[in-house]
Amino acid sequence: MRGLYSLHLHNPVICRIRNALIGIFLLLFAAVILFPMIYMVAWSFGPDREMAANSYSIFPGIWTLESYYAFFAKSEYTVRWLYNSFVTSAAVMVSNVIFASMAGYAFAKISFKGSRPLFSLILVAMMIPYQVTQVPLYILIVSRLKMGNSYAALILPGCATAYNIFLSKQFFSSIPSALIESAKIDGASQLRIFYNLVLPLSKTVLAVMAINTFMSNWNTFFWPFLVTSKEAMYTIQVGLKTFRFANGTRLSPMMAGATISTLPMFILFFSLQKYFLEGVTIGAVKG
Amino acid sequence: MKKHFHVKRETVDGYLFILAAMVIFLVFTIYPMVSAVTTSLKDYRPFGSEWVGAANYKAAVGNALFLKSVKNTLVYTVATVPVSLAISFIVALLIMPFKRKTQSLFKALYYMPAVASGVATSVVWLWIYNSAPSGLFNQIMSILHLPAQNWLSSSRTAMLSLIIMSLLGGHGTHIITYIAALMGIDSSYFEAADIDGASFFQKVWYVVLPLCKPTTLFLLVTGFINSFQVFMNAYMMTGGGPDNNTTMIGLLIFNNAFVYGKYGLACAEAIILACLIACMTAVQFRVMGDNVEY
Amino acid sequence: MKNVHVNMPKSLKKERGTSMMKMKLALISAVISVGILTACSDRTETQVKEESTAASSTTASESVTQKDTLLAKEENEPAADTITIMVPPITSNYVELLDGWIEDYKKDHPNIEIEVTATTWAENTSKLTTMALAGEAPDIAEVDMNMIGPLAEMGVAVDLEQYLDAETLADYDRNSLDYLRQNDILYGLPLYLTIQALGGNRAMLEEAGADIEKIQTSGWTYDEFLKIVAAGTKEGTWGFIFANQGVAAADVVNIFGVSAGITNAFTSDFKYAFTSENMLQLLTAIEDLVKSGYMPNYGIETGQRWAMLETGETMIAGKAMPLTESTIRKNNAGIADGTATEGSIEVEYVFLPTPAMEGVDESCYGIVDGMVPLRNNGTTDQHMKNVCEFLNYICSGERIAAVDDEVMLPSVCESGRQAQANRELEQYENNAAAAARCISLVKVPPVGISSEQTSKASTLMNEVIVPKFQALLAGEVTAQNMYEEICQAAIAEFGESSCEMGRIP
Repeated sequence: MRGLYSLHLHNPVICRIRNALIGIFLLLFAAVILFPMIYMVAWSFGPDREMAANSYSIFPGIWTLESYYAFFAKSEYTVRWLYNSFVTSAAVMVSNVIFASMAGYAFAKISFKGSRPLFSLILVAMMIPYQVTQVPLYILIVSRLKMGNSYAALILPGCATAYNIFLSKQFFSSIPSALIESAKIDGASQLRIFYNLVLPLSKTVLAVMAINTFMSNWNTFFWPFLVTSKEAMYTIQVGLKTFRFANGTRLSPMMAGATISTLPMFILFFSLQKYFLEGVTIGAVKG
Repeated sequence: MKKHFHVKRETVDGYLFILAAMVIFLVFTIYPMVSAVTTSLKDYRPFGSEWVGAANYKAAVGNALFLKSVKNTLVYTVATVPVSLAISFIVALLIMPFKRKTQSLFKALYYMPAVASGVATSVVWLWIYNSAPSGLFNQIMSILHLPAQNWLSSSRTAMLSLIIMSLLGGHGTHIITYIAALMGIDSSYFEAADIDGASFFQKVWYVVLPLCKPTTLFLLVTGFINSFQVFMNAYMMTGGGPDNNTTMIGLLIFNNAFVYGKYGLACAEAIILACLIACMTAVQFRVMGDNVEY
Repeated sequence: MKNVHVNMPKSLKKERGTSMMKMKLALISAVISVGILTACSDRTETQVKEESTAASSTTASESVTQKDTLLAKEENEPAADTITIMVPPITSNYVELLDGWIEDYKKDHPNIEIEVTATTWAENTSKLTTMALAGEAPDIAEVDMNMIGPLAEMGVAVDLEQYLDAETLADYDRNSLDYLRQNDILYGLPLYLTIQALGGNRAMLEEAGADIEKIQTSGWTYDEFLKIVAAGTKEGTWGFIFANQGVAAADVVNIFGVSAGITNAFTSDFKYAFTSENMLQLLTAIEDLVKSGYMPNYGIETGQRWAMLETGETMIAGKAMPLTESTIRKNNAGIADGTATEGSIEVEYVFLPTPAMEGVDESCYGIVDGMVPLRNNGTTDQHMKNVCEFLNYICSGERIAAVDDEVMLPSVCESGRQAQANRELEQYENNAAAAARCISLVKVPPVGISSEQTSKASTLMNEVIVPKFQALLAGEVTAQNMYEEICQAAIAEFGESSCEMGRIP
């Protein structure tokens, strides 16, 4: 991405002032957008009580760990729920990165019969709201396949989502076809081209796909809530909501729950940072 | 002969690549979808449904509230999705000139809100929109010497409040998707533009925007789809009121399916919704062009 | 790949070998992990099963249970059966209570296994409906009375009187059972009858000239209520607030509807009641109240009302229940150690009956929450018998008394009241008496309403009355306009002859 911004080589001061202004703007806007997050984290350390109506403030008057204590000490399952969420989200993430990206590549760069109608079908599937597909899916998974209370029930339905197939198709379509054609002329198979050429060029988008998939699975509530009835199989979202301590209108336990469930996402985000930064460029090939 | 063989091989390759995804997809997405379509033609009961033909569709289209909710959803979508994309694109662009460490800080800051749970966020927004004089927005209004507003409880401001909430909420996933697209643009394009003496804005307009078109199309299409199905905001914040001015189609479908047990009607409404989205998606593909070749 | 002519950046070329390895490794590990997961899922399932049996302290392993079943059949004893029950946190400790009752129950019924699924208040209905639509409903579920209609329409609700004899049912108060009756069929057993009215701050009410003893023992008129509210409205203190933000506006309609004589959606001759003159009287009264300035002209959130009562920002708050007393007591106790709401003052809570408008007999708004048995794929008659017997067990006697004590309400069955008799509750006597009086004033829905009628009424309430009411509270429609629109929608739904257009008799 170098080259878009002038480096003002004749006068580096202009460059610095410009960056400072942009930085200040970005920080201010971030503060607005992050406001709910700041509030959430701050109040998770608040006392366990009802909130006063007309004395809302950003920070609690008393700082305490009692809400966190309650989540980890009073429920034997909190760690197990985190583990369940991690296993299911990770499995869905891995399978999407592999299967959805393969499908996306085929739709973008392999011209095969039926490719267009199939891709339209994938798009159409996204358009049906989830409320009406939950019942048949429930019948399929719980009544027919007898998968209630299993990891399979939590993982399988999301293993290759239309969203990710579409996302990877869009990205792969901007890889120059000339690259792939020349590889083909040299006798490389599609699988080789995909693994050795296309994937290395697409690390950034795969990282985006990975983190978004992980996040949406981590945050899913309704489906895991439907297919699990045993506490040991709850995901963290289901556990936090059904956990007795969080039931009620008390603010701090609710915010502590939200913070606990958010934390692992931050860790994942920072560990994937590397990939967002490595701009992989294609080199001097022009079509 | 040879050519024929070649085409066949491409087809075989294509199907091999999509095989795993399509199997999962057919079983867990297409089957429920087809089932929803057939259910929309029934008076659904768990034990013994009756075929009723288009009756559910007639009931849906004949319902004034359904039409009003279509209008509300359309207003909400048109007001939020394009602006959200613009904001995300600008933020992604502005993050670019910094050094790695600073970039990663900003990316993290802007991605974070996407991670926060919806319930926690809506609690905060309920305070922000609290219509008592102590509500956050009303305090700002009083600093600006403007009258306090009945944000969520007045039909004049309820929809506006939901739109503001969406625009000031996180755009995390959009921003990092755009960043991924920007990262993929080769610097040689800018070198060429520099030789032509192009300004910053010319570079953005003639180089960056066209090259980001596949991403923009993707975000636009999925943004429309998500926005058309949205109902949590109305569900948590306004309950659809006042006077049904914030009732979204998603909320009606949710109520029919899960509260009133009118599952056949809910399916019919969902199919109508899907058709609406499909039309708009087709338009978007036509206008934006569905492929960009270098 | 040797011959591919691609100009890649140097860094990429260097990495290519390793990245290819990485990709392969990733693929292999993914395949392995999927394999492991599938294996895992089976194992976990059995693990979970084992855990649950261990938790319910049954020593018998599965094979032994099977043997028992065989033996039992030979000796002509009841066959093994599993009952599933799904409950939201009815009281904060309900699931633990239930586990205890199940232990006791199994001592007398060793052939019965009971599986409990805990849900949340917010999503209980969605999960229940999804399961019911899939034909996989739990055997017993907790519902509020509005859910009975949809469940009956779906054909999953069960006629209780086929499975429980009249003697057993005689334990329950007739009027509470009537709440759970539709199409003349009894679909469930009651947990409690909640009354919803108003609550206030004793000191402030007395200062405003209210005779609390008289109000609690013989009710008050709407004009008296207005006078006291006017006297109680001061700088920094509202006379009256009501949680009315969003869907909570429905509470205003229900509670003050009773004030105006609309005790149910249907009159005793089965006509729709929200089109009556009483409705216009109600809407006009609310319009005047909003304009008077005794009540905030902005929306109040449900959680906000207690805080406002606790901090002395309001004299009267609604909706209020007898249970509210425990919330306020806890807050009073917290003033000393800093766990109370910021700015709290010591408040003595008084439960207040609903004021009656001119020409209306005093009444009170009540709702019944209950437990319903449900049918699913392959439910047998014997299974349903077992289900109903267990249902009766948890809805009566000691069990229901424990639940009703938690919510500070008298039980609605004789055995429950007997169990409650010798217990001391932390509740002011005057409030307990006022609550008992209000419960006696509740008017039950007329028996014989069909589930189709109730489902239409509930749709009208949610899609017309409540949204319009929100606009009325915001001062955006007039009472007259709103009344006309309700009439129009109701006539379209029920037909003019089925709508009460005059005064409710």
